[in-house]
Parts: sequence; C-alpha cells; structure tokens
Amino acid sequence: MTGPWPPTSRTVRDRGVIDFLQLTVAGLSAGSAYGLVAVGFVTIHSVTGIINLAQGEFAMVAAFVAIALLAAGLPLPIAALLAVLVVALGAAAVERVAIAPAAGSSVVAYIMLTLGVSITLKASALLIEGPQPSALPAFTPGILSFGGVLVRPQDLWILAATAVAALGLYGFLERTVTGKAFRACAEQPTAARLVGISPSRMSTLSFVLAGVVGAVAGVASSPVIQTDWNIGLFLGLKGFVAASLGGLASIPAAIAGGLLLGVVESLGAFYISSGLRDAIAFFVLIVVLVARPSGVFSTHAGVRAGVRAH
Amino acid sequence: MTETEAAGVLADDRSDGGMRMTTGGAAQRRRLRRDFAGLAVLIAGVVAFPLLASSQLVFVAVFAGVFALAALGLSLLLGLAGQISLGHAGFLAIGAYTSAILTTRYQQNALLASVVAVGVTMVTAAAVGTPILRLRGHYLALATLGFGIIVAVVANQWDFTGGQSGIFGIRKVEFNGRVYDDPSEQFWLVWAAVVGALILARNLASGRVGRALGAVNDSEVAAETLGVDTFRLRLQVFVLSAGLAAVAGSCYAHVVGVVNAQAASFLLSVELLLMAVIGGLASVWGAVVGAIFVRALSEALTAYIPRVVPGASGEYQLIGFGVVLVVAVIFLPGGFVSAGTRLAGRLGARRRPRTPVSGGGVTAASDHEATGEAAPLLLRAGRPAVGTAVLLVRGLELHFGGVRAVQSVDLEVRTGEIVGLIGPNGAGKTTLFNVVSGVLPPTAGTVEVGGARLEGRRPHAVAAARAARTFQNLEIFSSMTVVGNVAVGRHLRSRAGVVAGALALPARAEERAIDAEARRLVELLGLGDVADSPAADLPFGRQRLVEIARALATEPDLLLLDEPMAGLSAAERAGLAGLLRRLRAGGMAILLVEHDIEAVMALADRVAVLDDGRRIAYGAPSEVSDDPAVIEAYLGADAEQTTLGGPA
Repeated sequence: MTGPWPPTSRTVRDRGVIDFLQLTVAGLSAGSAYGLVAVGFVTIHSVTGIINLAQGEFAMVAAFVAIALLAAGLPLPIAALLAVLVVALGAAAVERVAIAPAAGSSVVAYIMLTLGVSITLKASALLIEGPQPSALPAFTPGILSFGGVLVRPQDLWILAATAVAALGLYGFLERTVTGKAFRACAEQPTAARLVGISPSRMSTLSFVLAGVVGAVAGVASSPVIQTDWNIGLFLGLKGFVAASLGGLASIPAAIAGGLLLGVVESLGAFYISSGLRDAIAFFVLIVVLVARPSGVFSTHAGVRAGVRAH
Repeated sequence: MTETEAAGVLADDRSDGGMRMTTGGAAQRRRLRRDFAGLAVLIAGVVAFPLLASSQLVFVAVFAGVFALAALGLSLLLGLAGQISLGHAGFLAIGAYTSAILTTRYQQNALLASVVAVGVTMVTAAAVGTPILRLRGHYLALATLGFGIIVAVVANQWDFTGGQSGIFGIRKVEFNGRVYDDPSEQFWLVWAAVVGALILARNLASGRVGRALGAVNDSEVAAETLGVDTFRLRLQVFVLSAGLAAVAGSCYAHVVGVVNAQAASFLLSVELLLMAVIGGLASVWGAVVGAIFVRALSEALTAYIPRVVPGASGEYQLIGFGVVLVVAVIFLPGGFVSAGTRLAGRLGARRRPRTPVSGGGVTAASDHEATGEAAPLLLRAGRPAVGTAVLLVRGLELHFGGVRAVQSVDLEVRTGEIVGLIGPNGAGKTTLFNVVSGVLPPTAGTVEVGGARLEGRRPHAVAAARAARTFQNLEIFSSMTVVGNVAVGRHLRSRAGVVAGALALPARAEERAIDAEARRLVELLGLGDVADSPAADLPFGRQRLVEIARALATEPDLLLLDEPMAGLSAAERAGLAGLLRRLRAGGMAILLVEHDIEAVMALADRVAVLDDGRRIAYGAPSEVSDDPAVIEAYLGADAEQTTLGGPA
C-alpha cells in the first residue's frame, strides 16, 4: 500500500462525510491497538501498582518476532500465534528477572526498572533489526468499499483481534479459578493473601496477560503502522493515555479510552496538522491528567480499584 | 496520602534514600570538610585535565560536563524533591534552541544568549510545572515524558526552529572579539559551570530547603503541618532543575554549533536519568560521577558493539543504558556515591563506637513537678493575651461518602488553657484533628485559627497561623536525626529560600541559629542523650517526644497533641504533664486527645467528649465525668439497663 491512509480529498462536498467516516474507521483501528496496550497497563497496575513502561515494547517485539518467523517460512497465522506466545513468556521472564528482585521499591524505582527494560528491548531490536521499519503483510489483501467509504480489511482484523483478546481476557478473569484469584488479588490484596493466593505468582501472571494483549496489538497493527525499533514508545505512551482516560482501573474503559484517542488523533491529524499527530495524544494526556482530579491522581481509594471485567 | 502514591526517593526502604540532612555538630563539619576536599580535587582535575589528556579525550569530557549540568538538575529534582522527570531533555532543548535562535537570527553574543536561554527555560518550566507537579508518581512521570515529546515534535515541525534540519552555525563563545572554540577552552568553560552548579546544588541540599524537602520525602503530611509548602518548594526545585538543563542546552549549542530535535529526544532524557541514578541521588556529587561514567560507557559501547554486531547503526549504545539502569536500581539503589560512602563508613565504624540510645526523661518538669505552680515556658512576644480563643470550630461536618465522621462539632480553645478531647475509639477525635490541621478539608463548617478562617486550607497555612500538631500514628522523619527532625520545625521561623540557600553565605548564620534552637528543645524534652541519633532508632514513646519538640519548634500558639502519652513510661508521663502545665502557664493553648482519662482529667481545664462524630459533652472535668451521656458512651450502658435502673 502506498501513500497516506486514508486517501482523502476536499474537492467535492460529499467527500467531507466520506473523509470523516474513513478517518473515523482508521482512528478506531489505531485506537483499538492503543486500547489493547492500555489493557496491559491496567492488568499490571491493578495487581502490582506498577506502570510498566515496557508495555509498548511487548507489541514491538511481537511484531518483529512474527515478521522473522514469517520470513523463516512459517505461515502467517502460526507466526502470529507463536509471536504472542514468545512475548507472553518473555513478559514473565521480565517480571522474574527485573521486577520481582526489587519488591518493595518506591514508585520511582519501578518507573526506572520498567524504563530500563523498555530501553533494553528497544536497543536489542535496533541491533537485530536495524533502524529501518518493516511490516507484516496485511492478513487479507484488497480494499473494501462501503458506499464509497474505503476500508482496509486490516482495520477490521485489528478490531476483531481486539475484540477476541478482550473477550478472552474477560472469560479468563470471570470463568477460571486463576482468573478469579487474579481479580481477588487486584481488589483485596491482603484478603487474597490470607486465602492463600500468592501475590508474587499473580504479579507474574499480570505480566503474562499484559504480554499477550500487547503482542496481539503489535501483530495485528504491524501491517498498518509499520514496525520499527522505536514504535513501542509511541504505542506505549498512547496506551497509557488511553488507560488514564479510563482511570487506569477498568478494562472496558481502557479499550473505550483507546478508541476515543485513536479517533481524536486521526481527525486531529487531518483537520489540524498531520505533523503534530504524535503531539495530540500527549496534549490530551496532560490535559486529562491535570483536569481529571478523581480517579486519575486521587490519593484516596479507587486508584487500585482493580480489574473490573464488566 | 497512601504510601504507594507518595513519590518517594529511589528505594524507600532498601537504600538510604535522598539527599539528607543530619543537622549540626560533628557530622555537618565532617561533611563540609569532605565536600571542600572533593571540590579541591575536582578543581585541580579540571585545571589539569586538558593539559594532560589528548584533545579527543578532552572533547569527550566536554560532553560529560555538558550532560553533568543537566543530570545535576535532574538529581536535585529526584533526590531532593522526590519528583521524576522523563522529559528533561525537553528543557535542555528549549535552552539550546533559544541560544541558537538568539545568536543566529538576532546576532546576540553567546553569553547573553545563554543567560536569556536559561531565563526562558525557567519561565517555561514554571508554566509547565504549575499544573503537572500536582500529579504524583506515574502520572507525573508520564506527563513529563509527554512534555518532552511535545517539545521534540514542535521543534521538528516548526519553521522558526528550523524544522527537521534544525539550526546551524550557532556562534561560539567570544570575549573581546576572541572566539573560544579550542576543546581545552570549551572544557574549562563548561566545567567551570559544572563546579559552580555543584556548589549551588550542594548548598541547597544541605540547607533549609534541602532539609524541608528531605522531610517531605519521609512524611509529606508531617512536613506540611510544620509549615512546609510542599508544592511550592517542589515547583522551585523543578524550575531550578530545568534551569540547569538549559545551561547544559546552551553549552551544547555553543560547543557543537548545531541543534536539532534530537536535543529533546526521549533517549537523551533517559540518558540524563541514568546519569543521576547510577551516580547516586544521595549526594550532588552523584550526577557528576554518573555523567562521566555514562559518557565513558557510551563511547566504549559505540566503539565495541560494531565489532560484535557488524552493520549496527543508530543509537545502539542504548542497550547498555537499559541494562545498567535495571542493574543499578536492583543492586546499587544508592548509586556509586552511596556505595562509596557505605564502604568508607564500614571502615570508619570500627574506630567510632556508636553511642547507645537510652535513658533520659522530660527535664522541663523535674524541678516543678506537681507543685501546681508551673513556671511559664516558651512564652512568645506577640502571642494573644491569655483567654483569647485561638481555635474556634463552628458547625464542623466531615462526611466520607455516607459516613458522617464528624457532625456539627463546635469547639473553642483559648490561650493559657488545656482542653482535653476524649471519646471512645472511632469517635472522630483524630479526624477532627486532621480537619483542624488542614490535612482533610471539612464538608461544612468553619475553622478559625488565630483569628483567620482556615477551613479547607492546606496544612502549611494552618502552621503559619501558629498551630502545630503531633500524630497518633507517628510521622517521624525517619531519615533524620532527632535534632534534624526538630530543625524542620524551624522552617517557618527561618527565611533562606532556594536562591539564598544556594548562595549559602547569607544562610550560614541562620543555620547555626536553627541548630541551637533545635538543640534547646531537644534538651527540654529530655532527648539530649539521643540528639544526634537517627530518630527512627528511638522507642515509640520517645519518638512521640520528638514530635512534640518538633511541633514546639514552630513557636505555636495552639498545640494539638494526639495521644502524646501513649507508649511513655510513668515517669515520662509525669514529666510530659509537667511540661504541658508550664506551656499553659506560658500562655499556649493546648488541645489534647488522650486515652488516659486520668491524665486528661488531671491536666485539662475543660474537656470535650466526642462520640460517633458528635460532641456529647463539654465542660469542666468534674462536670463531664458525671455526665450520664458520657458514662453511657464509655460504659456502653444501653436503653435496657437505663430502664431497669430508672423508675419503670
């Protein structure tokens, strides 16, 4: 695919509506990737109180692994699934090696730790893959047209992958004993410990779950956003913005926050300035953080209100 | 405030934390001597280095110096103010661009441009910091990161900043028509700035501002109730730290001659952070050590990685930064400087046996014990006349959701009297204290302290109105000595701000006075034997006395004591009671929450009884102890018993 997406034109009046719809679809597609990354933030934060700055790197690594496996001759679906698995295991390793040994540290120390992990993953990708971006091919080729509104099939794939990952996580948290233990640990850590749930195992599990959703976001969005070594910074930060929009406590709110951010960014880039695209999200971040006193920077209860699957 | 939300220093309970202050005496003199020695060595090194090293090495060292300036600012922000910035390169870039634009577009000379650049950056930091420093922990980290990225994006997109190609041909430093662009000259200029910044930072960290911020890192609520305006101090340090980043940016622009959006890059922010952390936040020296280490590491990695990974390109040396950052936080939370200090301390400890922590008693009372005629103590010129109401609470309400923790409470405390506040557990006594001292805003009602309406104001404003408090669940500054704790109480009674503190000379005399006053109060509370011991090592009872000394150091007219007798021995209780009588005789107003009813009845002029958030009785101790409502609240006599006992 060449040229900027979506193709737009302001010459015909009717195009205005079509532009708007196309931009919205593109925004929803990017936004669902942000939403999945945001879910990763919520998952880890609700159990450990940590903001994992390497969350975006999980997506980046998954995309690169899938690209490499595809190049090695594996079919795309297998490559994608293996990439998710690799990142899930890698996330567990990160938790064991870098996070667990520093148990009991301050917020600032955890910020530095996850920042260190993030930088290490980034730089490793740069060393292995080089500075130039690469991408997975679209899962299905072609362009769909709905009454003149052009939609890339990959946008639908991203939305579908997001729905599957989110519902899968919902099912896991609601229907399985481990999932319920996980929620218990998020909502009432002390009580959870008293009934024999290991906080350290749940901490590892939170990284695995965050690794899975992050990896799905990375693999599904790679054909559209192009993967490079530094993409994790933007994915991660936008995911954090999305999670903050949702108050950092709820999975559906995180996804809704991601979708909203994606649409705002897509429309803003078109109607204001495409060069400022990346600044829009962070402007939203600062405004949201500063303007939303409750839930966002409240020092009272609610910050660790836990994973609410509904 | 919850523990997890409090942005502490690097590792709360594993390292020895932030830049700390152990006021007074031998420790301070030792540190001063050490700093002078360090400075002498540094200056000698700076003078000699370019004469001895190759010009290539000198050039590397120029950059180490440039980044040391910015890392020093970040280290102050992290170590002193306990705040993190992941976008500090943004400030460096604003400084660099301002310098670049002034010299290339407006033909200003480099020095003037640098001064303006620092000013512009500091104003920007104040504007940015005012909203975002209200955030905590993660949110602050990500907001600063967002700020850095916005600066980078704008620099990249804006024609005024030269867009993607940036700005070229920035003028070098000149004096009298001579251009100083030899690496050695640049080295001396940059490192002279480093030495100057180091002295400023050292003075700031070891003076009044450093002490107050160290206290905030230990217990924000206690520091605020002693009059520390946390937000304001943090903002000032933030602005100062941005200023240092701008000095670095300006130096960078004039040394390299080119500036582009890379100057604001996230990766540079990370590099600066790594410098501050690896060097150690416990001392201002850490940033300088860290900058040298990280630049050396960067050069080494740039040289060696391509040998291992052929064809490597881009900023691959980052991999070392990431690994070192993780390893440092886990294994070396205090950084190089702290590790060195610990090593030296371990060697020194064999020679200096530690003084034991024991004994003592409240000395103030010993000579006047139980005479009833207490000698006045701690009088203050300008205190309202005896009998003036310094605390007036009217119709106070505090609701937590559906729970009405305090309901229409009225209370009055006058100078020269002790009012006891009693009630069963959960009656709302501590909550009332929290509202009066500004820790919690009331839902409704008024609080007047010293004639000023203060409901809903922050604790430091209440402290400024001369009300001081202690805490039921101790809020000791655990990284400080006993004298250090009490010295924080002198915060409002001393002046040195960020500027005067940094310049040190005007602040020296004041520091001596603070130390003397703190020691006097420590003696008064019978803590003289442990004056220079870490306050955290004391038993709980004596920590309560430290809190009282700390509160008295603010020269209050109204003293709020939350269960001061708990954990004290019988002798200490008697001593404290005597002290309170003498304070009352000196005209202080005292509100006393206490579970020891006997002690309250013996001490108080009037007693208020709270039950279930309501004031159920108020009056002289004898009236209150006979009040049926009070007896019911305490003995739990219910309606059935009442009917059984009464005329049925």
